[in-house]
Order: sequence, then C-alpha cells, then structure tokens
Amino acid sequence: MKLEKKKIESEIFTGSMADISFLLIIYFMVTSVFSATRGLDFALPKQSTSTPQIKQEDSIDVHVMQGGQIKVDGKPMTMDQILPYIASKLKENPDKPVILRTDPDATYNDMIQVFDLLRRAPDKIGMEIKTISIPTQREIQNVWALFGVQQ
Amino acid sequence: MSLLRGRARKVEASIFTASMADIVFLLIVFFVLTYNVQVDRTQVNLPKTWVRKTVPKTAAYISITKDGVIRVSSGKEMSLPVGSDEEVVTFASNVVAETPNKAFVIKADKDTKYEHVDKVLDALKQAKARVIYLLSEQKTQGDSNQ
Repeated sequence: MKLEKKKIESEIFTGSMADISFLLIIYFMVTSVFSATRGLDFALPKQSTSTPQIKQEDSIDVHVMQGGQIKVDGKPMTMDQILPYIASKLKENPDKPVILRTDPDATYNDMIQVFDLLRRAPDKIGMEIKTISIPTQREIQNVWALFGVQQ
Repeated sequence: MSLLRGRARKVEASIFTASMADIVFLLIVFFVLTYNVQVDRTQVNLPKTWVRKTVPKTAAYISITKDGVIRVSSGKEMSLPVGSDEEVVTFASNVVAETPNKAFVIKADKDTKYEHVDKVLDALKQAKARVIYLLSEQKTQGDSNQ
C-alpha cells in the first residue's frame, strides 16, 4: 500500500493587490500636475572678443511703454501697424535687427505680446526678422553712457 | 400548499469586477510613464502667446510672482526663494559652470512689472546663459483681442 504524499500547494496571496493598486493611483493622481512646458525661446549672443556694434539707424527700435503703448522708431503705433512698418524696412535691408526695449514700469505681458508678434513675422508678412535683441536696462544705460547722455 | 403558490424567482444583481484589476494596472502604467517631477510649483498667471517651443526637461527654472518674488531651481531640486539680484547671478553662474548649454526657463506672472524680468534677464546675461525660454500658455482666437 502506497502512502499518499501530502501536496503542498504554493500560491501568492493577491487579495490585497487591488487595494495597493488603488492607493498607488490615488498617490499619482494627487501628486501629478499638468504644467505648461512650452514657451517663447530666444538665444543670447555667444560671447566673443569682437562684439558687433549696431548703430541705432541700422536697426528698428521697438519701444514698449507703460500701459502697453508702443513706439517704433519713435512713432506711436498699434499692434497691427508694427509688422507692416517692419516689412517695409526689411525690404530695404533683410538683415536689419529689431531692438525690443521695454520700460521697467510696463508689465511683462505688454512686452511678451510684442515679442510674440515679432516672432510671427514669417506667417504675417512672409519675412523673417533675423535678429531680435532684448537689451536690459543696464545695457541701455551703458550705451547712453557711451554717448555721454545722462538718463 | 407552497407548491401550488409557486416560488418567487430571485434575481441577483451583481457588478462584474474581474477586469477592475486590469484597468487599475493600466492606469498605474499611464501615470508612471507620464509622471513628471515638477521642480517649481509657484502659482503664476502665464501670458498667452501663439509661438511656443517645447522646453527641455532638464532646464533650470526661475519663477517671478506678481509681487516680484523670485524662486530658482537648477532643474534637479525644488525651487528656493532668493533674496537679491546677486543671488540670481550666482545661481545662474553655478548652473552655467556645471552645464554650459543649460536652458533657463523664466516663469513669470503676466502682471508682474517688467523691471523684475529685466533684472533676471540681466543676471542670465552676466552668467553667460545661452538659451532662455519665456514660459507661456497657448493663445487661442478668443484671446486675440487681449
């Protein structure tokens, strides 16, 4: 007579797996945030020993003032008038850089709306603005100091 | 007697839950794959623009609130507030020294004064940063008059 071997059944207890999974889901849902990961990009000029000097008359000066008013080359303009004016200048010289100056008292939104408009030049006027320069107040003051103008 | 009356048939209501575990696991896989550690959680109202480029995942962040409070993060740790403009220059210089081509993201409130953004830009220029992103939200036709 043979003795019956006692079978040992091995199993992994999975009863709590659903609970653990739900806890993980709750954790991920609470901690994950849908964040903005896009924006306007611009490259700063590489540092070189010979920095090209741009004369004011060789560039287009876009000045954003407090309250969102805009002057282009000293003339007050609306947002719709800026690109046609720049297009007329770029036809004379396609390499003409645009200098975007903003008053410290203007809001960041005022500046970025103009910057966005300048970046959309290829779609709007079919011409690309090759150089858009955003000088800081310190740089502007340095330029004025070079000309001996006190602000 | 009960046989004559007939037995009332029991209708059992049940919800099929066998596939729940599969659904839960799929959701977990989705969250694990899409999970991003956000290094800067400063609440700001971003400006809206048409042109938007994707920010590199490893970029350093500089956030500016409406009141001009500046927080910085190298992209590895959570953002910390800075007290002065010099601290922003020091932070940016350290980041550039470690990774010269590191992108910087400026996350500024649309209503903040430009002078705060100007100071940060100046600090990044002094630190010889190369690429800067101005974080924005997508502009739509409804926003075009704003």
